[in-house]
Amino acid sequence: MIKHPLLYVLLGCCWLTACKPDVADDYKTRQVFGPGQEDKIVEAFLSLKDSSAIELKAGTYKFDNLSIAQLKHILIQGAGPDSTILDFSSQTSGGEGIRVTDVKGFTIRGMVLQNAKGDLIKINRCQDVVVASLHAIWQKADSNSGGYAIYPVLCKNVLIEDSYAEGASDAGIYVGQTQGAIVRRCKASRNVAGCEIENTQDAQVYDNEFYGNTAGFLIFDLPNLSQRGGRVRAYHNNFHDNNTKNFAKSGNFGTYWGVGNAPPGSGVVILSTSHIDLDSNQISHNNSSAIIIASGLSVDEKAMEKINAQYFPIPADVHIYGNQLSMDSAFPSPVYEHHVGKMLVAVQQRLGARIPLILYDGVSSNVISKGTTPNPDSIYIQQSEPNLFVDADLTRIGTKDWNPNTNGAPFTKH
Amino acid sequence: MTHKWNVFKKRCQVGFALVAVLIIGFMLIQGCHPQPPAEPEPFAFKDSLSQYGFFQGELKQLKPVGRLFRYVLSTPLFTDYAIKDRFILLPKDSSIQYTGSGVLSFPDSTIIVKNFAYQNTDHQKVMIETRLLVKDPSDHAWKVMDYLWNAQQTEAIKHITGARVPITLLDDMGNAISTNYQVPNTNDCKRCHNNGGVLIPIGPKARNLNTDGPAATIAETAAGSALVGSATATSVNQLARWVQRGILRGMPDLSKVDKLPDWKDSIHYTVAQRARAYLDVNCAHCHTRGGDAYNTGLFLEYQQTDPAHIGIMKMPVSAGGGAGGLNFDILPGNPASSIMPYRMNAAEAGTAMPELARTVIHKEGVRLIQQWIKEMKAEK
Repeated sequence: MIKHPLLYVLLGCCWLTACKPDVADDYKTRQVFGPGQEDKIVEAFLSLKDSSAIELKAGTYKFDNLSIAQLKHILIQGAGPDSTILDFSSQTSGGEGIRVTDVKGFTIRGMVLQNAKGDLIKINRCQDVVVASLHAIWQKADSNSGGYAIYPVLCKNVLIEDSYAEGASDAGIYVGQTQGAIVRRCKASRNVAGCEIENTQDAQVYDNEFYGNTAGFLIFDLPNLSQRGGRVRAYHNNFHDNNTKNFAKSGNFGTYWGVGNAPPGSGVVILSTSHIDLDSNQISHNNSSAIIIASGLSVDEKAMEKINAQYFPIPADVHIYGNQLSMDSAFPSPVYEHHVGKMLVAVQQRLGARIPLILYDGVSSNVISKGTTPNPDSIYIQQSEPNLFVDADLTRIGTKDWNPNTNGAPFTKH
Repeated sequence: MTHKWNVFKKRCQVGFALVAVLIIGFMLIQGCHPQPPAEPEPFAFKDSLSQYGFFQGELKQLKPVGRLFRYVLSTPLFTDYAIKDRFILLPKDSSIQYTGSGVLSFPDSTIIVKNFAYQNTDHQKVMIETRLLVKDPSDHAWKVMDYLWNAQQTEAIKHITGARVPITLLDDMGNAISTNYQVPNTNDCKRCHNNGGVLIPIGPKARNLNTDGPAATIAETAAGSALVGSATATSVNQLARWVQRGILRGMPDLSKVDKLPDWKDSIHYTVAQRARAYLDVNCAHCHTRGGDAYNTGLFLEYQQTDPAHIGIMKMPVSAGGGAGGLNFDILPGNPASSIMPYRMNAAEAGTAMPELARTVIHKEGVRLIQQWIKEMKAEK
């Protein structure tokens, strides 16, 4: 027996030194900068070596753009989202304020990013990404804002926490074509979409508050991309008061792609994706629809031609249970100016009563199989609210056969 | 593991254990930090362009000396109507291995040199920057560096942070355009010269080199540039000439080598061929699988045949306001409602495509793409 505990400690230390995992603040080099040192910061970003930390002291910094590429284990640390501000108003080139590409182990935390011409931070093809206590905002929210505030895409293992996104002309927090993502304790407001999980697999979205957007939370799969999404669970969130005009740059009635399709007043939109759990959320005062479940066919008549290993337009295995759902008695006015919004208005008119909380577009895999099985795609809803459900039969809208119906019975069983 | 650990613990006396612990600890540290085998020294970029000895005489005349030789491309990338000079330096006694698709296979220590200049309103050629791509022998990976020319036009100095250079240039029609030319920073270089996280050259693909060689070569050879190999090159075709000189090996018969159309050559090529060649060179380094714009699903390589990937009736994914409120990358028959020419016809950040490498609009390129889309049959 080794009697001296010190020896265990010593051996343990050797082991830790030898094969230690990435732990916070364990960086080989650390550089600290203050406001006024922008040129040096730009140079430092371009000269970074693996395992480096850059610390930006409190104050406002002005940049055209910043980039980090092809590195391992990098930390960008501010003094907090109340005190370190990176302003990209003067951006003249590139697509974003900060661009991070091919980095394994990237963490950014404790600062404000604001007013880029393009996206605020794009994190492309990275692994083990942490975005924490980051506020990404456009002070003026209109169609001239960039598309995405916080934008990881084609990544593996992404954590976004305690962050805030505002003013994006697309989605405030957008996770695209990623494997493994957690979005928690975040807020998003005054964006077109508060948060969007797109073609992303294995995502957990919890303890967030998305409010004051056109649409609160979107889970979308789009065609022609690198992978299908799915296996997304959203729980313990508060999606409320998302009723604003869809200000994505568009023609008269909105664009027909991405968030352009999100009608004003939607709490959650689930489009063309599968294995979704939506539970224990509070979804209130989104006054066009608390939850929309739709197929690609509702927004793209050619969706069925685009089926391949990376895309299937019909949503399946969507489980909605234990949420608190409510809606006010009237549509928000911007819904009448939106191409999908107008469909919701038409559904309400056809029903002759307030549109139900959950709208399903009614496109099931029966379209492919020519079958008649009720609910063949396991859309499962267990909620106790009155006026809960409508199968809107959207693809036949405007035809004489159009038959939206509110019988939710086939969708209440597993 | 636990069993061994217990046995280990039982056997140990305190004194012995101390030694053992230190030894094991040392071994663990060594085990997880393997020493790399001895390799060639990493390539170190020099501080100024002249230090490489690429050119003889006045530096800005760019007269290649030694093994540096000039090359041309069928269809070049547009960069603010810049005048570009391209050179390759192969190490002694080495040659390029032919590859049919993608970039040719260059030997270690190859240096590719590309100089950017503009024509000023006095019709003088003014040097802006010189970019280097070096295949580092220590890790066989390509490395990038930029050299910024001084105001006296006597030297170009290593420059990693990028720059905005205010210039007034003459375009191809002789119109004066004032702009802030963007010299890329080293990360900008990596954006386009990148596939799947690996840095690669873009231009020197067999299909884009399969054209008449540069007229200047013969004069430069006469002037003292001792090209690789000793055989006299008689071919007009650049690749055939390289084979004759021993610069290029493994090339099949020239008739079997793909040829990228010259985007300006309306006599030999259709509008569609020229448009696709233009998109290949100006867009496909990012808009390809594994490229910087992989996430968009818009893939513009010359060989791409899937209409959706080319952008036909394809809705964008993440264009945001950059799409200008339009619905399709390409709406056949309707260039005014197509996002592709809309973004090519813009110069502001967030909308302009390509995102890098240009600050002014390439009017001739936009026109070609508009014409191509206009001639496409509209779908029902």
